[in-house]
Amino acid sequence: MNQKALDSSRQDLKDFKTGANTMSKSIEPYKIKVVEPISQIGRKEREEVLKKAGYNLFNVPADKVMIDLLTDSGTSAMSDNQWAGLMMGDESYAGSRNYYHFEDTIRDIFGYEYVIPTHQGRVAENLLCQIKVKPGDYIPNNIHFDTTRANIEHAGAHAINCVIDEAFDTENKHPFKGNVDLNKLEKLIKEVGPEKIPFCMITITNNSGGGQPVSLENIKQVKELVDKYHLPLLFDACRFAENAYFIKTREEAYRNWSIKDIVREIFKYGNGCTMSAKKDGLVNIGGFLCLDNSELATKVTNLLILVEGFPTYGGLAGRDLEAIARGLKEVLNEDYLKFRISQTKYLGDMLEEAGVPYVKPAGGHAIYLDVKKFLPDIPQSQFPAQALTCELYLNGGIRGVEIGSLMFGYKDTKTGKDVYPDLELLRLAIPRRVYTTAHIEYVAETIIQIHQNREKIKGLKLVYEANILRHFTARLEPA
Amino acid sequence: MAKLKKRSWAEPFKIKVVEPIKKTTREEREIAIKEAGYNTFLLKSEDVYIDLLTDSGTSAMSDYQWAGMMLGDEAYAGSKNFYNLESKIQQYYGYKHLIPTHQGRGAEHILSQILIKPGDIVPGNMYFTTTRHHQELAGGKFVDIIIEEAHDPESTHPFKGNIDIEKLEKIINEAGANKIPYISLEGNVNMAGGQPFSMQNAKELYKLCSKHGIPIMLDATRAIENAYFIKLREDGYQDKTIAEILKEICSYTDGATMSSKKDHLVNIGGFLALNDDKLAQKAREMVVVYEGLHTYGGISGRDMEAMARGIEEAVQFDHMQARIGQVEYLGNKLIEIGIPVVLPIGSHAIYLDAKKFLPHMPQDQFPAQTLAAEIYIDSGVRTMERGIVSSGRNKETGDHNYPKLELVRLTIPRRVYTQAHMDVTAESIEAVYEEKDKVKGLRMVYEPESLRFFQARFERL
Repeated sequence: MNQKALDSSRQDLKDFKTGANTMSKSIEPYKIKVVEPISQIGRKEREEVLKKAGYNLFNVPADKVMIDLLTDSGTSAMSDNQWAGLMMGDESYAGSRNYYHFEDTIRDIFGYEYVIPTHQGRVAENLLCQIKVKPGDYIPNNIHFDTTRANIEHAGAHAINCVIDEAFDTENKHPFKGNVDLNKLEKLIKEVGPEKIPFCMITITNNSGGGQPVSLENIKQVKELVDKYHLPLLFDACRFAENAYFIKTREEAYRNWSIKDIVREIFKYGNGCTMSAKKDGLVNIGGFLCLDNSELATKVTNLLILVEGFPTYGGLAGRDLEAIARGLKEVLNEDYLKFRISQTKYLGDMLEEAGVPYVKPAGGHAIYLDVKKFLPDIPQSQFPAQALTCELYLNGGIRGVEIGSLMFGYKDTKTGKDVYPDLELLRLAIPRRVYTTAHIEYVAETIIQIHQNREKIKGLKLVYEANILRHFTARLEPA
Repeated sequence: MAKLKKRSWAEPFKIKVVEPIKKTTREEREIAIKEAGYNTFLLKSEDVYIDLLTDSGTSAMSDYQWAGMMLGDEAYAGSKNFYNLESKIQQYYGYKHLIPTHQGRGAEHILSQILIKPGDIVPGNMYFTTTRHHQELAGGKFVDIIIEEAHDPESTHPFKGNIDIEKLEKIINEAGANKIPYISLEGNVNMAGGQPFSMQNAKELYKLCSKHGIPIMLDATRAIENAYFIKLREDGYQDKTIAEILKEICSYTDGATMSSKKDHLVNIGGFLALNDDKLAQKAREMVVVYEGLHTYGGISGRDMEAMARGIEEAVQFDHMQARIGQVEYLGNKLIEIGIPVVLPIGSHAIYLDAKKFLPHMPQDQFPAQTLAAEIYIDSGVRTMERGIVSSGRNKETGDHNYPKLELVRLTIPRRVYTQAHMDVTAESIEAVYEEKDKVKGLRMVYEPESLRFFQARFERL
C-alpha cells in the first residue's frame, strides 16, 4: 500500500476515535462514461402517482422517481471493464468459460472450494434452507435480513437475532454495531440445544441494523463459540468489502492490511457464505453460494438444477458471470471503498448538522433515518416510517424504503396482538457509483426541509397485505 | 430461361459482432471427453468447435436488442423495461398478467406450486424434464396424452405434437375433472423432436376443457415456431401472419410458462403469464420469495428490454423462414446421406435415431450417449443425448425407464452458425456413420438422483 493511502486511512482511524467530524466531500475515483437521464416531474404529478401506487413506493414506476434510494441492490453503475466483459459472454449451456473465471475469482477472494452460481442472493439462501433447515430449527444471526428471515420461516424454522444491544440505540456510536452478542448466542444454543441449530449466520454488514459492520475480533469469538458446540458458521456476505473497509479503518490490528487480506481473514472463520452479487459484486443481477463441504455442495447442486439452472450457469447468462468476476475484483479497490463509505457519511454529516435523527454512526451503504425520533407523535400502528417515505417522495421525488412496522410487523398468532420491531427506520440506500455529490446534497436539503415541517405529517393504514413479505406488495391509504 | 433448381436461402441479417471458436485435434478431444465422463454436458465450452447442445439461451442477439441492453432501467421496483415487456406480452400473446422469472423453470416452479395439489394429475403432450419434475415436486403426476404417431420416428404426420383428445377425455372421465388442475399444452414438443400441434387440435382441446372447466396452460417456449408450422401446414392459415396465429393459439389457453431463451432470441429470462386476477396475485406473492420482486422477477432491466425487443423480431416471417430453413437444410443433408433421423424435421433440432444408427448396441449400453461422444471426438461438434439417460429410472422398480425413442439431439442456436458450419456437422456425422460398427457402448459410473443426464459420468466398455 502506498504512503498516501496509509496516511489517509490513519486519519480516518484517528477521526473515528476522537469523534472529529471531518465533514468533507470526496472526489469520485472514476469519471462518467455513459449517462442515463432522470425524470423531473412536479409535485402534483407525484401526488397522483403515489395515490395510484397505494402509498407504497415499491409500486411506483421507476421513471416517476428522480433520485432512487430504494436499494443499493442491483442498481450499481458497472465499469467499462465490466461492460467489456458483458460482450465476452460465452452463452454455452454447459462449461462456459465465464463460469470458470467466476469460480476462480470467488475461490481466490473467499477461499471456499465449492462455488454455486444463483440468479440472485435469495436463491442461495433458499437452497441452503431447503437442504439444511428442518421445521422447528433455530437459526441465529446478528440480524436476519427480510429475505433470509422469509426463507427460514418458509422452511418452518425460527430466525433469531443476537445482535449486541448497542445496535438498538440509534445515538450510540459503537464502531461495530453489527457485532454478535456472544451471551445471547450461547444462551440460545443452551436453551434450544445445538442439535436444533443447523448453522449460525453473521450478516456483514448488518443491513437491517443500519448497515453496521462486524469486527474481526467478534467474528473470531463467534467462531470459537460455535466450534465449542460443533456448529457451522455461514456469512451473509452481501456487503463484505464494505465491512472489510470498516475493519481496516476502525480495528487497530488490521490498519496495515490490504482489503483482500482482511476479506480472506473474515471468511477463514466460516464454512461458507451466501452472496447477493447485486451489492458488493457491483452488478445488476446475480448471486452465489460458497461452501467448504463437498457432500452439502453436491446436494445443493442437485437442487440447483431443478430450480435455477445447470451448475455452470445457475440461471445467469454467461456475460453476467463475467461481470460478477470483474466486479468482485474492482470492489476490493481501496480508493473505491473510501469514496463509497465517505459518500454515505457525507449525507449523514449534513443531516446531523441540521439535527435530523438517524442511526449513528453512518452505515456503509445507507443512511437510516430514526423515524421514532423524527415523527414521535405517529404510533407504529400507523406506519410512521412509511408515512415519511411518502413525504420524501412527494417533496423531492426521492425514493427511500421503510424498514419498520410495515416490513417487520406481524400479528402474534397466539395473542392476536400486533407486534412491532424495536427500530422504525427509513433507509436511504445509496447505489454504487451512480449519484454525484450534488445529488446527495439535494437529498439532504429535501430531508432537512421536511424535518422542519414534520408536525404536518400524518400516518397511514393498511388496505391490502400478502401473507409473506407484505411490504413489497402492500397497499395503504392516509389514516 | 432454364428452370431454376430450388433456390438457396440466405440469412435475413448480416453479421455485426463475431466470437472466435477454437479448433482442437482428435487427440485433444479424446482426452477432453474422457475427462468429461463421456457426457457432453460436462465438456468445457472452450473445447467445443460447433456447439449444438441446446438452442436455449444461445441465440445471437440483434443490434436492436443490444441497444436495448444499454437502456436497462435497473431500478429495483417499477423498471420501465418491465412495463415495456408487459405491453409486448399483452400485444403478442394476449395474456393479461405478466410475472417475469429468471428463466422458464422458475415459471414452471411457481405455476406448479400454486395450482397442483398432492394426488393431482397433469396431462400433457409429452413430458419435458424440468416441467415434469416441478409437477412431481408439487405432488402431481404427469400423464402423457400426445398422439401415438409422436412415438414413431418414421411417421411424417404434420402435427405430431397433437394431443389425443379421446385419450384425454378418457382420463377426465376416470379421474374426474377436479383431480386435474390444468392441461399442459406444449408448442413444438421438444421431446417428440420439435413437433407442432395444429390449431384444429388446440380448438378441440379448448372445447373439451371448457366443458369440464379445466384450464389450459401453454408451454409457450417455442410457440412462435409452432405458429410458423401452422401457417405452412394448416388450411386456412396461409394468409395469416405469425403474430395473428400466435395470438389465436393463446386465446385457447388460460396462461403460459415461457423460457424466453428459445423463441425470444435472448440469453436469459422467462415468465409466467396468466389471465386470472386471483391466480396472478398468488403468483406474485410466490415470485417475490423465489425469484425477485414482481416487476423484475430475478432478471435485470436490460434483459427484460432484450426480451421485449426479441418478441418483435421472433414473429417476423423472414426470421422464422431462415431459422427453420437452416434446420431443414441440415436435416435434408443427413437424409440424403442416409442417416436415420426423426421425421418430419422439427423446428429447432435434428434428432438422430440412435437405435437405428447403432443397431448392434443394447439400450442399456446407452447408444445415444455413446453416439454424442463419438460425434464430439470426430469433429468437436457437441450434441445432446435424449434417450435412456434423460428418461431416468422408474420410481417403483428402480430399473431404467426404457424410452421408445433413443435420440441424439443436434440443436441449432438461432442466428449463430452459418451454412458452412452445418456442412461440417453433416460431414462429421457421415464419418461416424461409416465407422459405426466399431463403436463400443458405455457404462455409467456416477449417477445423480434427479435429472441424471446433466451430471452423470460414464466409461467406455
